[in-house]
Amino acid sequence: MGLSTKAVKKSPWVFHVNTGACNNCDIEIVDLLTPRFDVERFGIKLVGSPRHADALLVTGGVTAQAAPRLREVYRQTPKPCVVFAIGACACGKGIFTTGYHMVGPVDKIIREIDPDAIIAYVPGCPPKPEAIISGVVKALAAI
Amino acid sequence: MNQQQLNTRISEIRDKLTAIEQKPDNRIWLSCESENAYAVNKFLFEEVPLRFVIATVIDSDDYFEVLYHYAYDEIGCMVTLKALIRDRENPAIESIAPFLPGAEWIEREMHDLMGIEFRNHPDMRRLILSDDWPVGVYPLRKDAKKPAERPDGEPSRRPTVQSQSPARRTVQLSKPVLPVGPFHPLQEEMELFQLAVDGEIVTDIDMRISYNHRGMEKIAETLQFDQVPFLVSRICGICSASHPLAYVQAVEEFAGITPPDRALYVRTIINELERIHSHILWVGLAGHFIGYDTVFMWAWKYREPVLDLLEEITGNRNNYGNVRIGGCREDIPDELKPKIIAEMDKIEKKMVMLTKAVLDDPVLHVRLKGIGILKKEDAINYCVTGPTARASGVDIDVRRDEPYAAYGVLNWNVITQPEGDVFAKAVVRLLETLEAIKIVKEALVKLPKGPVAIEVKQIPAGEGCGHAEAPRGETFHYVRSDGGNRPVRHKMRAPSYVNVPSFKASCLGGNIADVTITLASVDPCYSCTERLAVVKDRGGKVLHDYETLLKLSREKTEKIRKEIL
Repeated sequence: MGLSTKAVKKSPWVFHVNTGACNNCDIEIVDLLTPRFDVERFGIKLVGSPRHADALLVTGGVTAQAAPRLREVYRQTPKPCVVFAIGACACGKGIFTTGYHMVGPVDKIIREIDPDAIIAYVPGCPPKPEAIISGVVKALAAI
Repeated sequence: MNQQQLNTRISEIRDKLTAIEQKPDNRIWLSCESENAYAVNKFLFEEVPLRFVIATVIDSDDYFEVLYHYAYDEIGCMVTLKALIRDRENPAIESIAPFLPGAEWIEREMHDLMGIEFRNHPDMRRLILSDDWPVGVYPLRKDAKKPAERPDGEPSRRPTVQSQSPARRTVQLSKPVLPVGPFHPLQEEMELFQLAVDGEIVTDIDMRISYNHRGMEKIAETLQFDQVPFLVSRICGICSASHPLAYVQAVEEFAGITPPDRALYVRTIINELERIHSHILWVGLAGHFIGYDTVFMWAWKYREPVLDLLEEITGNRNNYGNVRIGGCREDIPDELKPKIIAEMDKIEKKMVMLTKAVLDDPVLHVRLKGIGILKKEDAINYCVTGPTARASGVDIDVRRDEPYAAYGVLNWNVITQPEGDVFAKAVVRLLETLEAIKIVKEALVKLPKGPVAIEVKQIPAGEGCGHAEAPRGETFHYVRSDGGNRPVRHKMRAPSYVNVPSFKASCLGGNIADVTITLASVDPCYSCTERLAVVKDRGGKVLHDYETLLKLSREKTEKIRKEIL
């Protein structure tokens, strides 16, 4: 395990990217920071810039307008980084699969610019906060 | 005015209409040709006067129909004006935005999605489709091709129609431009406003939205009536009880379905639990914006038991999927009643404490009073709803004006405040939370016995409007059926769609340090608005980013605190 991988796994700082989600996964992510789940005690911190982040928490099925911004955010994130596709939409466009404005899902957009990206999936509509924590733990154990 | 007087008033403009129909009693359907639409709309909005709700455009093979939906809140009556555009090749109609700012966005949206031209619109730039969407492709038309079969049109970053009017409102990029957003560290959604600033004072504001547009209205046309509630509950995760309810009420209205009493009570309880958790969520975020992170943490802690209750009743913390045409899917088990009441008592105590703490805090008084004022006439012109309207002294609440579910038989009060500033909005939400707790408790005590749903065999042809009071304001759904098993047109309007444009009225002339809390004060929900905003650096120098803005806001609070204490 290289130094940079170790740095990602210890106290991962995360950046939250909404690409056209319904707000549900997003409030559950914010919920993680508040007293009941309080992931900051594990050193997981929501940061204000992708340049500070070890992981991206991506929600939503990626709309046509959000796709270029998602790519840009991914480019700005220092590598290695883990992309978490959170929720049914991020994993596979969910109920919006047939929408004319949807170009996702998240893995398709990210793989267009980086075929080797590390992508973890947390399904659910919305996934419960416990599920998100479990997903993060499993993904970090796997890399 | 009562219903009779309203009918008489509307019939004054009979000569410009081709038909007046009334079904059921509190729904009036007017028809006219497109040339007369401007005059009739002006009459309805300014003379009667009615509150503009939204407009819908329908592609009916030979012609386009533009439906203008209005509400008369005093008696809970909805008036819909249908304007027929017979020229399919070059569909055009006179814009009503010059006298009705609340219609500006919807006309831009109808132009994007259906290709209707609105003559004399002040700012006909692209609103809802992405920058690279091909020109001349209108996704909501019945003959629209799927993206895969579509020829690649010329992608355009420019507006598809140049505005004719000199009063075009765009932020002058030669001035210093301050982008707010797009990614907030703690706001759940992307959002961005371009603020033109002169020193510390905001002089203009522009919004670009589209980022969250998922094309739900088209998706709804591919789903069966019974599947649509699952789609519309995902318009917004925080209003996921009120959207399906408004849709279901629209269908029940024209299908003549009356759900059993118990279902009405269950709907009320779930909607009020949603309001409680949504308002507490807002209080927390508002606290964060002005540097009261303790409030943020405590408020979100108080919110958790409400989510637990919702999970126990419906099986999910959000996206309840409980309401269906003809009733509810899940019942509230009787053994759960004491638990819900006990939790409500606990939350009530905490909320009373929190409300007192906010109302008694001298720092908050100075920090939030007189900030981001939305005047009553602006509130009416921008057609805002919900707590945003009620904090500006506009006394409207769908739950009281057109009682649905069990609201008509329960005792509760509509909270209004005259000031229109951020403080008033906070007060309205805090007091409304206490009212919601009262409603839940009373509804649980009165919960009648019986089934929660009736069997629905068929949805007949027809059209209906349904609205419900979501935590952020009125959600409105219009459904048209041709007797098949799918809606032919389904229009959804969420409260933020009308509340967000009111920033133009409330932010201008304000201080930069007050912008975050003013923007947050309407509890904007961009997924509700079906779109988000991002700004690209077009040569305008970026002066502050979000972090600096948040810092400015917090420093101002801190300064006030030192001065006072």
